[in-house]
Amino acid sequence: MKQTLQYDQLSCRLRVDGLPDVSVGQGAGALGIITGWSLQWAGRPELEGRKEHLLALMQVVLPYARYLISGVPRRFGADPTPVEIGPNPGRGHLLLLRSSQADTPPLQLELDDAELADLVRVLDQLRLDPRLQLPLELPSPLPLRARELLERRPLAQRLAAPLGGVLALGLAAGLGLLLPEPKPVAPPTANPSAVQQPPS
Amino acid sequence: MPLDPTAPEPSARLPRRGLERLDLLLLSVEALDLNGGESMVWMSEQMGFTKLFPNRVELWKRRCTNPLRRTTRRDGLDPVETDALIRILCSLADRLYPLLRGLLTSAEPAEVLSQRWDLFRGRLLELIRERMNPRRGGVQLLLDPDAGARQARQLVQALALGSGAGGFERLRASLLDAQP
Repeated sequence: MKQTLQYDQLSCRLRVDGLPDVSVGQGAGALGIITGWSLQWAGRPELEGRKEHLLALMQVVLPYARYLISGVPRRFGADPTPVEIGPNPGRGHLLLLRSSQADTPPLQLELDDAELADLVRVLDQLRLDPRLQLPLELPSPLPLRARELLERRPLAQRLAAPLGGVLALGLAAGLGLLLPEPKPVAPPTANPSAVQQPPS
Repeated sequence: MPLDPTAPEPSARLPRRGLERLDLLLLSVEALDLNGGESMVWMSEQMGFTKLFPNRVELWKRRCTNPLRRTTRRDGLDPVETDALIRILCSLADRLYPLLRGLLTSAEPAEVLSQRWDLFRGRLLELIRERMNPRRGGVQLLLDPDAGARQARQLVQALALGSGAGGFERLRASLLDAQP
């Protein structure tokens, strides 16, 4: 009855153990109850956990990949969540795994782009495996809004155009104030003596 | 390649930026695989898109909706055609994944990586010069040594994260991003 699903990539291997949920009539080849999982990395400690930890891993890694594909590296997973991932400037990506035990420090894994792609592929393979008959609460990928895309540009670059505009306007206004005001033109006065008489 | 059952039905047209990126990603596939153009036609037939793209000319015409092309077509792509092209792209990226991985890894010596990137970027630049309009700002950016190298890396990363069945929905969502 015990089922094992295994997905391999060059740098990692995901193994999910479980059982079919016979209470809902699942067949012998299905996996409806996850009893444990492990993620083996080449040259790194093996990760193990319960179903909740696997879901937490998927809930941060897949949205992170979604943003990254649009060129927006954004951190996912805040402090109470067991898994966090974010950009690691100059060195790829940083995966942080927090233990539920208070005295255990979080485990940090530095991943390069290839290792991240491997991780995303094994998680995709698991997510789309028809043998896994378990509802996974994962956000579906959506197009990013313009504001989110703007965030990928550095602040200085984003502020350059409006600041330049304000400066140009101020400069033009200052130069305009320096120009002398035109003297008012005196209205022509009617002087009948100055009017020449036409020759008779 | 199994289809992603969670992928929603095609509904939206790609914006201008999406059309540009889709064609550039297909161009990157051609830069990675010298026989990439033929592979696209073959993959289209294998995936049952013969009705949409009956021959290589039709496939080529769809790619010419990229506004950065020298000869560009103004009629946009139907969502069904867009989805077919993205599925072809994801399948090709899946086949080329070992090459993509080889470019993205940091586990190999720097000289080897540098040679791989030089080769890829050289081919990509050749294709860009051949097919894109050099007067466009986007093309000039791609031809720029620094900005172009960054964009080339982003294209390879997008192909790696969009490879396979699971990548389709992710890649489509990114091509539908709003215009910044």
